[in-house]
Amino acid sequence: MSKPVISVEHLSKYYEISHQKRGVDTFVESATAFGKGLIERIRHPFSPNRAHVDLEEFHALDDVSFEIEPGDRVGIIGRNGAGKSTLLKLLSRITEPTKGRIVMRGRVACLLEVGTGFHPELSGRENIYLNGAILGMKRSEVKAKFDEIVEFSGVEKFLDTPVKRYSSGMYVRLAFAVAAHLEPEILLIDEVLAVGDSEFQKKCIAKMNDISRSEGRTILFISHNTSAIQSLCKTGILLKAGKLAAAGKINDVLDLYQKN
Amino acid sequence: MFLRRAGIEQERMQQNKMADGTEEHILVIEAGRTHSRYLRDLWLYRELFLILAWRDIIVRYKQTVIGITWSILRPLLGMIAFTIVFSKIANLPSDNVPYPLTVYAAMLIWQFFSNTVSIGSESLLNNSNLISKVYFPRLIIPSTSMTVSLTDFLISALVFIPLFFYYRFLPDWRIVFLPFFVFLTILVSLGMTYMISALNVKFRDFRFAIPFALQLGIYVSPVGFISSVVPGKWRLLFSLNPLAGIIDGVRWSLFGTPLYLPSLVMSIVISVLLLAGGYFIFRAMEREFADVI
Ligand SMILES: Nc1ncnc2c1ncn2[C@@H]1O[C@H](COP(=O)(O)OP(=O)(O)OP(=O)(O)O)[C@@H](O)[C@H]1O
Ligand SMILES: [Mg+2]
Repeated sequence: MSKPVISVEHLSKYYEISHQKRGVDTFVESATAFGKGLIERIRHPFSPNRAHVDLEEFHALDDVSFEIEPGDRVGIIGRNGAGKSTLLKLLSRITEPTKGRIVMRGRVACLLEVGTGFHPELSGRENIYLNGAILGMKRSEVKAKFDEIVEFSGVEKFLDTPVKRYSSGMYVRLAFAVAAHLEPEILLIDEVLAVGDSEFQKKCIAKMNDISRSEGRTILFISHNTSAIQSLCKTGILLKAGKLAAAGKINDVLDLYQKN
Repeated sequence: MFLRRAGIEQERMQQNKMADGTEEHILVIEAGRTHSRYLRDLWLYRELFLILAWRDIIVRYKQTVIGITWSILRPLLGMIAFTIVFSKIANLPSDNVPYPLTVYAAMLIWQFFSNTVSIGSESLLNNSNLISKVYFPRLIIPSTSMTVSLTDFLISALVFIPLFFYYRFLPDWRIVFLPFFVFLTILVSLGMTYMISALNVKFRDFRFAIPFALQLGIYVSPVGFISSVVPGKWRLLFSLNPLAGIIDGVRWSLFGTPLYLPSLVMSIVISVLLLAGGYFIFRAMEREFADVI
């Protein structure tokens, strides 16, 4: 009966990367380039269009298909630039796919970094509400879990201090505490644990284990930390230069990844 | 082209309703598909809108005294300068209303517009971390940026009370139309903000043109003078600026000065068109914000 919570079919994401000196477009440049192109067209109507020569399509994700069952905890691994974050951004609707299709059944929350939207001038308390809303929590939800969040973070004493006065560790703790109390059916997490001390990392992994075991939540977890992946995930997906290289039991996938 | 796009959107909306009927949250993401639930999403994300507005206001007024003083002082200083230049030096008429009052009313509308556009046009870039890290209807960002300028506007409008006392001037029943003209200002400001903020993401040199354009704008709007000093043959051209009709309307509702109807009608039409145009440009460019920001 159980349908896959996430099914991804032939998903591709192409970025256009320009080989100009600077990355950003300017209006004046675009307008003059357009004008130049037009003149070029008129003067040499049959030569290939030069304006597009320095634009290149980059396949960050190329024809990837997989399915994820409810309650799965999936580790996504691959080298830098393999397309892991891109995959998460597509699943969370931050960017749109170039090709392909995604079907998801359930509320999705995505953690690409902890503390997104934290404002340095606002206090810890204010930032909890702000960050909660940004991650998609209702005000009432944040309110109900407020004490839990504060306890998990361990920054009670500094709750009314602007977060710009926090140590970077405290900042991350508070940020992760908010994220850990999200209650989506599907949780997407990008390498957010790399920061924070090892004791706190363990606490976070334990918390995520808790969440997924007791409430049957589906988790997609990107990490370069093999032991973290092994302790949390059952299955794995290996990406290699934008292509799906392997999918299956986490230990098999990790073996394959480490062999190359 | 925009119309066709809207048509497609409606069609998809119906499809989604059926999918929703099954009680589950089913989300289908497909390449090249218009985001069909946009308006519904905007409604779902209303709490985010409120909290971002709250954030902007708190941050702006954290140093309460400076924040409030500044929002009162700016239009007041503008009023004094314009009164000296246009009334004392250029000797322009004011329909028998004390000149400072005429200027102040227009100055408030103008600064509300100009603040909204200048804060709003930078808003997407200022919130680029949000845009590249979480999903929400991006229209929320430039929309929230209006709350700060609206607050400023309301605070500085309070200065009218002592001004009215000082000049022993009392508005009549026409004042009930004032909110309508403020509403029109909101439409114009939002339309411009949507358009410019979206263009700003893609074309980074756009931002340098904005302050310049805004500075010129105050002189082609009837801020330092009343619209009737504009020669008749130029009047329609002058009214292409939607703020002209709006400012005339504000003066009419506060001081009972004559209203030039063609100009008002044009303002209403252009305001609505601007908002619609801004919205469609924003929606068309929105899909690549996260990739290029
Ligand atoms: N907005 C963008 N414009 C152009 N290219 C991009 C953009 N975003 C990502 N890319 C490219 O897509 C590729 C995949 O990036 P992605 O962030 O998915 O890698 P990753 O697997 O998460 O790597 P890491 O382990 O370093 O986080 C990279 O080569 C990157 O340069
Ligand atoms: Mg990454």
